[in-house]
Amino acid sequence: MYELINVDKKFPGVHALKSVDFKIGRGEIVGLVGENGAGKSTLMKVIYGAYQPDGGDITIDGTKVRFQNPRQAMDHGIGMVFQEQSLITNLTVMENIFLGFEQQFVSYGVINWKAMAEAARKQLAKVKLDIDPATTTSKLSFAQRQLVELAKVLTLEERIDGDLVILLDEPTSVLAKEEVELLFSLVRELTKRASFIFVSHRMDEVLDLSDRIYVMKDGEVVDVVAHDDADVDAIQHKMVGRDVDKEYYREQKQKPYQAEAKPLVAFNDVSVAGKYSDISFDLRPGEVLCLVGTEGSGREAILRTIFGLETPSSGTVALKGETVTKFNAQAGVANGVGYIPRERKVEGIVAGMNVYENMTLSQMGNYANSGVLRIGEEKSLAKQWIDRLAIKTPDVYKDCGGLSGGNQQKVVLAKWRSAGSDIILLDHPTRGLDIGAKEDVYDMVREMSDDGVGIILVADTLEEAIGLSHSIIVLKDGVAQKRFDCSPGDKPSLYDLVHHMI
Amino acid sequence: MSFIKKYIEQETITRRNLLLASAYGVGGAAISSMLGGMARAAITDPTVAWSYRNRTNPYWNEIVSGGEAFVESLGKPKDFLTHLINEGSSEKSLADVKALLSKTNGELALAIDTNDAPNARPVVESCVEAGAYVSTLWNKTDDLHPWDFGDNYVSHMSWSDEGPAEQTARILLDAMGGSGGVVHLGGIASNNPAIERLAGLNNALKDYPNAELLAAEPADWDTQKANQVMSAFLTRYGDDIKGVHCANDTIAYGVLEALRAEGIEDMPIVSYDGNPQAVELVGEGKILATVFTNPHWGGGITAALAYYAATGHFKPSEEPNEHREFYGPTIMVRPEDAQAFKAEYLDSVPTYDWKDFWSTSNGQIQYK
Amino acid sequence: MSNVLTRDVLIKWAPLIVLLVLVLFFTMMEPRFFSLRNFARIGISSAPALMVAIGVTFIIIMGSIDLSMEGTVSVCAVVFAFAFIALGGTLASWAWLAIPLALLVGGAIGFVNGLVHVLLKIPSFMASLAMGFVGTGFALLLTGGDRIRVEDDLFRSLLTERWFGFPIMCYVALLFLLIAWFIQSRTTLGRNFYAVGGGEELAHASGLNVNRVRIMGFALAGIFYAVGALLAVGRIGIAETATGSNFMFVSITSVVVGGTALWGGIGGVWNTLIGVLIVNVINNGMVVIGLPGYVQDGVLGILVIAAVVLSTDRKSVTFVK
Repeated sequence: MYELINVDKKFPGVHALKSVDFKIGRGEIVGLVGENGAGKSTLMKVIYGAYQPDGGDITIDGTKVRFQNPRQAMDHGIGMVFQEQSLITNLTVMENIFLGFEQQFVSYGVINWKAMAEAARKQLAKVKLDIDPATTTSKLSFAQRQLVELAKVLTLEERIDGDLVILLDEPTSVLAKEEVELLFSLVRELTKRASFIFVSHRMDEVLDLSDRIYVMKDGEVVDVVAHDDADVDAIQHKMVGRDVDKEYYREQKQKPYQAEAKPLVAFNDVSVAGKYSDISFDLRPGEVLCLVGTEGSGREAILRTIFGLETPSSGTVALKGETVTKFNAQAGVANGVGYIPRERKVEGIVAGMNVYENMTLSQMGNYANSGVLRIGEEKSLAKQWIDRLAIKTPDVYKDCGGLSGGNQQKVVLAKWRSAGSDIILLDHPTRGLDIGAKEDVYDMVREMSDDGVGIILVADTLEEAIGLSHSIIVLKDGVAQKRFDCSPGDKPSLYDLVHHMI
Repeated sequence: MSFIKKYIEQETITRRNLLLASAYGVGGAAISSMLGGMARAAITDPTVAWSYRNRTNPYWNEIVSGGEAFVESLGKPKDFLTHLINEGSSEKSLADVKALLSKTNGELALAIDTNDAPNARPVVESCVEAGAYVSTLWNKTDDLHPWDFGDNYVSHMSWSDEGPAEQTARILLDAMGGSGGVVHLGGIASNNPAIERLAGLNNALKDYPNAELLAAEPADWDTQKANQVMSAFLTRYGDDIKGVHCANDTIAYGVLEALRAEGIEDMPIVSYDGNPQAVELVGEGKILATVFTNPHWGGGITAALAYYAATGHFKPSEEPNEHREFYGPTIMVRPEDAQAFKAEYLDSVPTYDWKDFWSTSNGQIQYK
Repeated sequence: MSNVLTRDVLIKWAPLIVLLVLVLFFTMMEPRFFSLRNFARIGISSAPALMVAIGVTFIIIMGSIDLSMEGTVSVCAVVFAFAFIALGGTLASWAWLAIPLALLVGGAIGFVNGLVHVLLKIPSFMASLAMGFVGTGFALLLTGGDRIRVEDDLFRSLLTERWFGFPIMCYVALLFLLIAWFIQSRTTLGRNFYAVGGGEELAHASGLNVNRVRIMGFALAGIFYAVGALLAVGRIGIAETATGSNFMFVSITSVVVGGTALWGGIGGVWNTLIGVLIVNVINNGMVVIGLPGYVQDGVLGILVIAAVVLSTDRKSVTFVK
């Protein structure tokens, strides 16, 4: 039905798509996988009209079409559910759903809000979301927003007579397991009306959902696999051009932590009002402690408390045996806490500052005499860590904003490690990284453990949590449910964890 | 919301005018008759106020100090004078006046520069309606006359700068031996004084066929801008510049410094306004002439006119037109009389008779 | 990397190219424009503006804005002139103390400015605008509307004494430009400005005391405004309330035209030097070729818009992920 034939796209210096053939039938769910930079995003942008191809044809039911912009693509029934959520958070749900298409509810220049709410409710019913359409979007959970986003795209159903093609770009990245299940069952149901293109880093999900899977590498489609023939190892092999180590999470490198040593972090019945309550744990040198739970279960708030960005309402926090009295980031850094937040762009690196400037950002005092920087030393530090972590950058002067996600993550890690931080907080450290970069991060986690660093991790997937950690604390609604010990060979199963999460 | 308020106010005024007009049965002179009808008898102790841009400019500082000298002559302290500072906003100027009118219940003697000419009418009308007495300085439109408003619009004073500017131009051209290039650095291009002062130069140039106006560029009454413009003139015309005609003293300071930076010491320069520093420079021969408009007296007499009309010392409507709209006095300051001038006007502030309104006037204002 | 003329490179060098094109244009229209004496004139008019613009550059790099420069310059100029005359009236006496005093006053005003902005959590443009008015008012209070002449030949040698065709004030400005460059590139403070402007959240999460950086930034800017005030007094020999006039427009225009981004994190003092030169070359060149004043303002306005458009686009252009 919808087909790309021989599509080519070039950017200065990059051949992003090399004569790609792509086809999707009515009611089909097509998966699209590939490492970062393989050309997935470019292909999606061509499909929904944000880019115009340099060569090749796009046809719908055999008719050649050309989209100048996403709006024209929409008029042909092609809609996009964005990865970075594109809802405007200070508008209501219904305003978001009909953004740009309010005209249908306007009479004499006045919007009929009742009619819009009614229509919005109808759209929300399609995604089984029972909320008031007049709710402000910022009040919704991430999962709900994702569904609203889908509902928004589904308004195409009424507007367009022909078939619909809906692109889902990493729709599950912010969702918890059960929310993913919900989304999938919904998508399967909707195939009566629409075809879906599904892009995800989570291979299991792609395998689960898709009828066919396109595997991309270096701008080419290297394989198309049918659902029944799909095999994770084979696909990953095609994607990266190498075998993924069975010991992906470096379990063989996991050594016991120093259980007898003085705890680096000690939580004693700590609560932060509205976030979590009565949390107690000790983090010892060399330990990787994983906090597992759904979005909003209090995982991030605990990290932020340790770093000093949240002040507990009760209980005591001790870092290295000293009870913390002042909760602010300066004190956290001084206590040797390093925080690697989820949003690298917002809180991880300063785009516009170069590699060595980013690395010494938290420890400038160590590289300055009464305020005057010793730039030579900064550079040699940066060079040393570039080698140690194999950071791919032409030189230390490279703007960090121009590095790939994985290399940015390494710069952030180098920043804290080189400053001597021995309590490292990792919030989704592998989010958005490709497999190679993920493995580098896993190696670094093990290395840090060996050096006696205590790590508290909020993992991207449960597998990651299980694979990496010495201990897991499962949280639900801000309350600790259960603590698991995760020695190599004696790790809890996915089921064990999920059981306590929901 | 202010536009709504304004609209309502306007509506009420027009409606009231209409009613009164029909009541009096007069057509054409509706406004003046109705306003005349509102006038009250003499006010014993009116509030005295000066409304102006701000005191940053030395010229306006002099004006206001004149106003203060006047209230002191009444045996009141300096701060008896109410200051309404409009910071260059006509809206603020009008709003402040209205606020003060309602606060004083119309028992007000107001001296004002309305910031721009169109603003004069609403200011005058609100004062007249409230029964207050107002005298304006510098800005008003040509169709607005005190004698159309009975007693309450007491007077308007202004200066014609064209004549004095022509005189300074002649002094300059004579110093140049009647030939060579002249540059003019003007005020803000749209300002009336700026236009008149350039016109004065042009008038003088007609009698000096060998002299040429090389360029006239606005310097916005600003020393630093004048400094830069003069520098650029030096690049463009170099030694062709034989004389500089400045629209005021502040501009002349910038010109002098631009010349000094180039080591040029003996360029003939004339300016305007007669600020103390300029007078000093005239005494040193660095400026050939400046024109003193006596802002101190101007500021005092404007307030005095409004005050004495309010207290009934004189009845404006009985005065001839040349006492209602008149040109203020000007004094030419030259090197030979700079010392004497300084001694009389600057070293000590002369004590003026604030009831002597018109003896130094330069005649009734003429409209072209 | 083979593609040398990328958009980024173009944007980086655009201000310098604009400056060169302007110089070329004015020279073609009027050859006398291209002379050492005229360049000295442009230098004289640029020097005070450059100091003020450098001060505000630091603030803009932090992603804030400072509109207090006019008031600060006036206060510093007036305080300097009063102190200078009171202490002897010539640099050869104790009156030289008036110079550090003026710098101190500038720094203090900036410090208060920063405190108001940070502690009362008032947006910087509002806090600084208000402080600027306070400054102008205070200067007026000190002078009572009078102007103070600073006639000391030694001090005025800033303008009258020339080395290689340029007056000393140009070299003073150059010296402070180098100091500013040093602060920007070699000190923790300068680095912190970029960190706060590039990502305030992150700077905070890296343990920087963002509030302290902001306050220090405003104080530093105040010191540079004071230097600007000294040069302005040196140029015309007069300190008055109006000494600070026009510096707001000139300095912010210069910073923007020079390519420092208004949202912070990008740019620096060299950009500002180019920006100040562009503005002053236009001011000088327009008069030199005989174009009326209102055209100058129009051209400057267009340049500001062009500069913002150029630097804004850089962010919204996305290439392959």
